[in-house]
Amino acid sequence: MKLNIEGLLVYFPYDYIYPEQYSYMLELKRTLDAKGHGVLEMPSGTGKTISLLSLIVAYQRAFPLEVTKLIYCSRTVPEIEKVVEELRKLMEFYSKETGETNNFLALALSSRKNLCIHPEILHANIVVYSYHYLLDPKIADLVSKELAKKSVVVFDEAHNIDNVCIDSMSVNITRRTLDRCQNNVDTLQNTIQKIKETDAAKLREEYRRLVDGLKEASVARETDIYLSNPVLPDEILQEAVPGTIRTAEHFVGFLRRFLEYLKSRLRVQHVVQESTPQFLKDIFDKVCIDRKPLRFCAERLQSLLRTLEIADIADFSAVTLISNFATLVSTYSQGFTIIIEPFEDRTPTIANPVLHFSCMDPSIAIKPVFQRFQSVVITSGTLSPLDIYPRILDFRPVTMASFTMTLARTCLCPLIVGRGNDQVALSSKFETREDFAVIRNYGNLLLEMSAVVPDGIVAFFTSYVYMENIVASWYEQGILENIQRNKLIFIETQDAAETSMALEKYQEACENGRGAILLSVARGKVSEGIDFVHHFGRAVIMFGVPYVYTQSRILKARLEYLRDQFQIRENDFLTFDAMRHAAQCVGRAIRGKTDYGLMIFADKRYARADKRGKLPRWIQEHITDGSLNLTVDETVQLSKHFLRQMAQPFRQEDQLGLSLLTLEQLQSEEMLKKITQIAHQT
Amino acid sequence: MDEEPERAKRWEGGYERTWEVLKEDESGSLKATVEEILFQSKRKRVIESHGQVRLGMMRHLYVVIDCSRSMEDQDLKPNRLTSTLKLMEAFVEEYFDQNPISQVGIIMTKNKRAEKLTDLAGNPKKHITALQKAVDSVCVGEPSLYNSLSLAVQTLKHMPGHTSREILIILSSLTTCDPANIYELIKTLKSLKVRVSVIGLSAEVRVCTVLTRETGGSYHVILDESHFKELLMLHVKPPPSSSASECSLIRMGQCTDGFMSNINLTLKPMFSTTLSPSVSCGPGLSLGGYFCPQCHAKYTELPVECKVCGLTLVSAPHLARSFHHLFPLDAFTEIPEEEHHGDRFCQACQGELKDKSVFMCPSCHSVFCVECDLFIHDSLHCCPCCIHNQSGP
Repeated sequence: MKLNIEGLLVYFPYDYIYPEQYSYMLELKRTLDAKGHGVLEMPSGTGKTISLLSLIVAYQRAFPLEVTKLIYCSRTVPEIEKVVEELRKLMEFYSKETGETNNFLALALSSRKNLCIHPEILHANIVVYSYHYLLDPKIADLVSKELAKKSVVVFDEAHNIDNVCIDSMSVNITRRTLDRCQNNVDTLQNTIQKIKETDAAKLREEYRRLVDGLKEASVARETDIYLSNPVLPDEILQEAVPGTIRTAEHFVGFLRRFLEYLKSRLRVQHVVQESTPQFLKDIFDKVCIDRKPLRFCAERLQSLLRTLEIADIADFSAVTLISNFATLVSTYSQGFTIIIEPFEDRTPTIANPVLHFSCMDPSIAIKPVFQRFQSVVITSGTLSPLDIYPRILDFRPVTMASFTMTLARTCLCPLIVGRGNDQVALSSKFETREDFAVIRNYGNLLLEMSAVVPDGIVAFFTSYVYMENIVASWYEQGILENIQRNKLIFIETQDAAETSMALEKYQEACENGRGAILLSVARGKVSEGIDFVHHFGRAVIMFGVPYVYTQSRILKARLEYLRDQFQIRENDFLTFDAMRHAAQCVGRAIRGKTDYGLMIFADKRYARADKRGKLPRWIQEHITDGSLNLTVDETVQLSKHFLRQMAQPFRQEDQLGLSLLTLEQLQSEEMLKKITQIAHQT
Repeated sequence: MDEEPERAKRWEGGYERTWEVLKEDESGSLKATVEEILFQSKRKRVIESHGQVRLGMMRHLYVVIDCSRSMEDQDLKPNRLTSTLKLMEAFVEEYFDQNPISQVGIIMTKNKRAEKLTDLAGNPKKHITALQKAVDSVCVGEPSLYNSLSLAVQTLKHMPGHTSREILIILSSLTTCDPANIYELIKTLKSLKVRVSVIGLSAEVRVCTVLTRETGGSYHVILDESHFKELLMLHVKPPPSSSASECSLIRMGQCTDGFMSNINLTLKPMFSTTLSPSVSCGPGLSLGGYFCPQCHAKYTELPVECKVCGLTLVSAPHLARSFHHLFPLDAFTEIPEEEHHGDRFCQACQGELKDKSVFMCPSCHSVFCVECDLFIHDSLHCCPCCIHNQSGP
């Protein structure tokens, strides 16, 4: 159908449209009009991707000078493939409607096997790739630096974008890294030696170039061709590479010294935490390495690798990592911290020293993106509370909106279980974590639910340790045995192969009527990437509130930083983080309007306003007073009723006019009025 | 604590809905209630059932009753098993009333096994006695869909091609314990043109959705006892036969009635030819009975297949009852209440028309309420006003 969105003609490749899609496009268009950034939350399964694509493509066609390129960033390869599939549908629709062959070029970068290096790709109208291509400075430099300024960047599934930013800027160095680095440096030295004997002119040429400095890069940045690289700070572009590391041998020697220093730092017996200036002072005192050459380390190494014509860069990942670390540590005096731990907390007897160079400020990595591109849209199914993202990513959006899901039938049923049948309060909080009564009641909840919920149930725990304790205890109490009478039990482990095996068998059991329960962990692989459509997840049970492990030193440092720099209280951030993960977990069950599922929050703390208020609006609006602080029995009764209602025949006609619209229905006055209520501005 | 008793009622379910249906949703028309959708589907059923021409008149139906542990659940009163068996009795009665020349068999599944309660037979009494006895059976273990289906198929696959082969499963459990891959069996069922329908007592189970979709059956889940009954009665009506099924002429004997025939004025007690123990009254002396027109064997009950010459014996009313399915009453037109200006009373029950739509017979233009519309189409199969006009002066 053809839509008119505030004067813009949008081709939409389906015959029907959800009201919230229309509303979403309206908000998106306003964002593009204002040339600003936006934060948009819309539940999964309501056609976010196609709405985004149709509107932006229409916008590109209408105003080719305003928006030249769409950069669509998604998280995983299957998601990228889905985007491409939708795009293909849209393009087919265009050529069918307009009759002209289309001159749109779209490009998806998923993996090396699909890589194309034809120069034409630089002019692609749409680029679809993973986050890392834009956020990770190491990759962004290769892939994304030539993208035009007048692009629209979309981050889909962006609820974890701050963590991606932080990860892309953080470096962890173990003894193994250093050993491999040592080998790299040896190889470098040998290669230099060899080249010197055969082709000394090449090295001299490089030297001359370095004297000229990084003029090229500097010119490029001024003329606005490249996306700025956060690893390559502005100042060093003005200067030439310092003399101490200008020749290849000197540089390798310099690397050796730096490496020895790091090795000595890893020989610690107790935990050390220091800021970057402290670290720089220490390195100067001990091995006389100045700040300036450190800063050029990454760039100098790149130059050397190019000169030596080394093909297989992957072998040199260790030394690249170290040199990046050197540049980062000497560049940023704020937003980073260095923590050296001699052993893991869980295994204090096994020495495994790690140097964490941890980024605490996600805005550092994403800043160039916000500065460079005219519109950046952050969107996901769960972005609540919306206002926290602009704060931690340090940008000012022009639109922030949360959309609900219009439903012809209430297909999601969030229930907050606060008590067992014996009135014991259910909670995963630290004090009652070992409490026998709580564990028994949790077991009872799962047992009762396994008897009334058909096919698949997914249960999430707050951590692997907690899951192990509970499951062991259930086994002793004989609860597991009773559950197995109703359904098979599968468990997610930290081993990826084991988990995918469990998942496969779980799906098989759901498929052939045996029924199964998957025990998994919030923040684990299952909680983020895997959808449990229809019968694969008729109920999700969230045991406890998935707070992050608060004793971690890295987290503590980050919380402190957030409090000092952004005035976000520790507790607010922790709750926000826990709730977004809880929302992700329970959101796994509903993947569309024809799907249905129970969302069971088994912790009395969810009933409190500060927790409940942080859930996405589309879940929150279905939590009534009647679904708070329930006992296990009440939950079972409500679930039974809900499941029977949902099993009634449900056809497309039932949705039409309510949650699914034809073009005529969309144009009616009444509907347009309703649509304006769907978007919730904050 | 004050709100506790009131709350307790809400969890009971089942009893609250009847009057809450009429209340408008808080959020206006944004959310259509499930009841509204159900009502529409009910109407649709009436309308839909008129499009068909070919029906499988001679039906062979196996009813599989789940007797697993979950049948002890007390959400149907007094428990699921008792309630199901009671409804099944009514179903068997109704089934033979509407499909006199068809047969039914009953299979029970529990403890991962399936066993026949009764074989395929055309006599309601036998089934009803068996059902009454089954009330005392113990519900244990898990049901097995695979075993029940294969047991039913063993018999059904020998039935002639012009008859329908159907299986109706009443499933209470949410799991099934199968000895082999059920998807293979579903393929076999499909190739044998066996229609499998399921009535779920608790929730929608994936494997049943696939099973019914593949074999062309229907899948419903009950809301409460009355809904259960409604769903069960849906299966009384013969399903449309697939175009692939064979057509054949069947020789049938119209039996001469022993009482009415002029020849036998003096009533002599005679032995019935029924030798099989499957008929509950058994062989014996009786005054009344039916004679086979071909070999003059005497039977006390119809319909039956003649034991002597193999002719299918039916009586005229049987055929008539079977045939009304072929000549259904036209659907009444639905008119919104405000557009209707005539009578304010239903022509059938004389009650006031209060619902938001009324129904009009297309031939005599009498109006009816929803309930009467359903009654006329489901039970009477003819419009009372049309009949009245015909017989009147």
